[in-house]
Amino acid sequence: MKKEVFTFLVGGEAGQGVKKAGTTAARLFASMGRQIFEMDDYQSLIRGGHNFSVVSTATRQITSQYIKADLVIALDKRSYDMHKEYLTNEGIIVYNSDVVGNGKGIAVPLTTEAKNYPNPNLRVGVGAVVTLAAAIGINKENLKKIIENEYRRDVENNVAYALNIYDRIYPKIADTFTLDPGDKERSIITGNEAIAIGAAAGGLDIYFAYPMTPASSILHYFAAHDRELGITVVHPENEIAVINMAIGAIFAGARAMVGSSGGGFALMQESFSLAGMVEAPLLCILSSRPGPSTGVPTYTEQGDLRFALSQGHGDFPRIVASPGSIEEAFYLTAEMLEIVWRFQTPGILLTEKHLSESRISVDIALKKAKWAKPLLHNGGKYNRYRNTENGISPLLFPPSNELIKWDSYEHDETGITTENPDKIAQMHDKRNRKHQTLIDYMKTMHTVNVYGDKDPVIFTYGSTTMSVLEALQAGNIEGTVVQPVYLAPLPVWELDKYGHSDGIIVEQSCTGQFASLLKEKIGIVPKAIIKKYDGRPFDPSELADALKEVIHHG
Amino acid sequence: MDDLTTYAENTWCPGCGNFGIFNAFKKAVRDLEKRGIERGKIIISAGIGCHGKIVDYLKLSGLYSIHGRSMATVQGIKIANPDLKVVTFAGDGDAFGEGIAHLIFAAKRNADITVIVHDNGVYGLTTGQYTPTSEKGFRGPSTPKGSIEEPLNPLSLMLEAGATFVARGYPVKTDHLAEIFVQAIEHEGFSFVDVLQPCVSFNNTYQKYNALVEAIDHIPQTYEEAMAAAKRNDRLLVGILYKIQKPPFHKELYGNWNPVLKRVPRGERRERILKLLKI
Repeated sequence: MKKEVFTFLVGGEAGQGVKKAGTTAARLFASMGRQIFEMDDYQSLIRGGHNFSVVSTATRQITSQYIKADLVIALDKRSYDMHKEYLTNEGIIVYNSDVVGNGKGIAVPLTTEAKNYPNPNLRVGVGAVVTLAAAIGINKENLKKIIENEYRRDVENNVAYALNIYDRIYPKIADTFTLDPGDKERSIITGNEAIAIGAAAGGLDIYFAYPMTPASSILHYFAAHDRELGITVVHPENEIAVINMAIGAIFAGARAMVGSSGGGFALMQESFSLAGMVEAPLLCILSSRPGPSTGVPTYTEQGDLRFALSQGHGDFPRIVASPGSIEEAFYLTAEMLEIVWRFQTPGILLTEKHLSESRISVDIALKKAKWAKPLLHNGGKYNRYRNTENGISPLLFPPSNELIKWDSYEHDETGITTENPDKIAQMHDKRNRKHQTLIDYMKTMHTVNVYGDKDPVIFTYGSTTMSVLEALQAGNIEGTVVQPVYLAPLPVWELDKYGHSDGIIVEQSCTGQFASLLKEKIGIVPKAIIKKYDGRPFDPSELADALKEVIHHG
Repeated sequence: MDDLTTYAENTWCPGCGNFGIFNAFKKAVRDLEKRGIERGKIIISAGIGCHGKIVDYLKLSGLYSIHGRSMATVQGIKIANPDLKVVTFAGDGDAFGEGIAHLIFAAKRNADITVIVHDNGVYGLTTGQYTPTSEKGFRGPSTPKGSIEEPLNPLSLMLEAGATFVARGYPVKTDHLAEIFVQAIEHEGFSFVDVLQPCVSFNNTYQKYNALVEAIDHIPQTYEEAMAAAKRNDRLLVGILYKIQKPPFHKELYGNWNPVLKRVPRGERRERILKLLKI
């Protein structure tokens, strides 16, 4: 049977190779020229618990996973119980009969078969890939190639196990689904990889970070590829060291970036303000998870919007932007690096676990990435904080015969501490002018994404944009999706035209932080705010139903 | 005003131990210049407190950091451009209180930085509270009945943390202190100088130090000997107490790379990404 969108879901315990099976399935679809969206739902533990990986695929661009799957593979009992009701009308569940016992669906003794090889529990994930291959009509020869490519460690046993399972499952499920090939094969990357590559393309020299989910995989990516990219990676003792080292590196002329999640970012607050004062072009990646406090480490939420907008004590210009897709995360990270260097003030790329750790098939045009370039002093006596008309003072890096003074205290133009009332006001005015120059510049930039031109207007931002766009597809809903990419300064000059609309706001914050921002800045009183704050991203079908409810009855 | 002093008005109290550190450091810079280290390559930082004003007063480039963090700041500078010689001044509150993690880790990883602590056993700028190195019983506005904590021993702490250069100085012995600074800055790796600094307003230790301070006659040859010298309290030994060679952090991190001077140009960076993505 043919499906416009096909969804594959594999669930099991941590340590059973669930994520690996999902990733392999995604690559399999991509090799057919199809587009994919993969989301990994996992818990903050190393072994046990419930994990699942869901991959939705289509021949068009697809921007969300669907929770109702066409093919579910349950490696353990909990996955079976949890997902057996979440099938599409034509959906099939295949379960590991060794641990589930008798159930509805197709039984395969994945564990019994795995016991013929070492480390049986680690191997059952291979069985999920085999089942998918059989269900979409991949022959034994091609399956062997896939396993050889994807499961290289202990490859012989993996292949033997795979072929054995294939023989068992094939008669029961053979060629159930027909997937049309797509137009071309694309790379698959996670949101965090897009951010890392975007920073590299934008001219990053050094990445400083302390591990914190869901930002850690940026650190891991850079650490794995530091030499290839020519990027230095430092993981010091804590987030406070991270940001202060980064500011020091910037003083020396390096394009430096830091990354963390809410808790780690809170630790960096004081020095974020330092960056504002010394006018350090510092780019920070803030990848949110549900808070407050430790919250729910491996899940998603948009509860840090106001936190990002007001990061750091005192008055100074801050730039905050949030990508609405993984592709946009790539371009926006490079653009943010360029813009913080242009205006010498700290900026935050705000995102969420749902974007950071989901995977999609992308086309990236590297040449379109911006490249950070400082405005350099061009000779003569140097004053770090020269009181220029546009508020931007040229940079000079050591070593130099000129005196280069960056100062955390309020300072004069040279960068020497002052308590003089005129000079204090003068420096505030200089930074304020810089803020105005930034706004004027942003007016020439693309700062808001608008999709569609029909009523109603749906406002959203960040990773929730992906859910909204897919929901419109899933529910065949017309509308105009308005997504401000920049959140500070908020492009009110673009958004004002929607100020009169009684639109719908969709966000993942329980207090409606985005709605309150739109109300404050452009006076929007929405018809409805659709919120989700259970740590899980929206399911497009469910969101489509919620939107229809508001549109037809709200 | 000499060519190493800015126009900033000096507001240290007359007789403050900071003057001795200031003068010794200027002498050290001139000595380093004679040895071929340009002053433009000497980058300074400081935390917050009376000591920090030295960044305003010294006509040298640098970043006047925030409380406790300058040890991280200068590590970042060094990593970005290892050709620079980086020095941070710190108060005892910065180094042993607010920022002690950075100090210990800088020693642990043998970061090629110099930390000079203006160790006066009191928070002068905030009107005289006790610090991590104040004697037990120290009376200040936050401990009117006397501090109930034992002081830290900075030297043994640094030895234990893995510092490859540990010294103590006394600003009254300006030339001796200047020579310690020169050696500390020339040392490849983490160098730590604890300066016994009297505070004339809140903790005047001149008499005590004049009686107890004694220059060490040789650099101890073993860790154990250094530790014993650090822990002596009948005499306060000044001079270099420990000095060994180990590869510094930045060389372990990237060998002879220099992130700022050897930056990968735009086109090549693009090629490298394409290769990585295999597109």
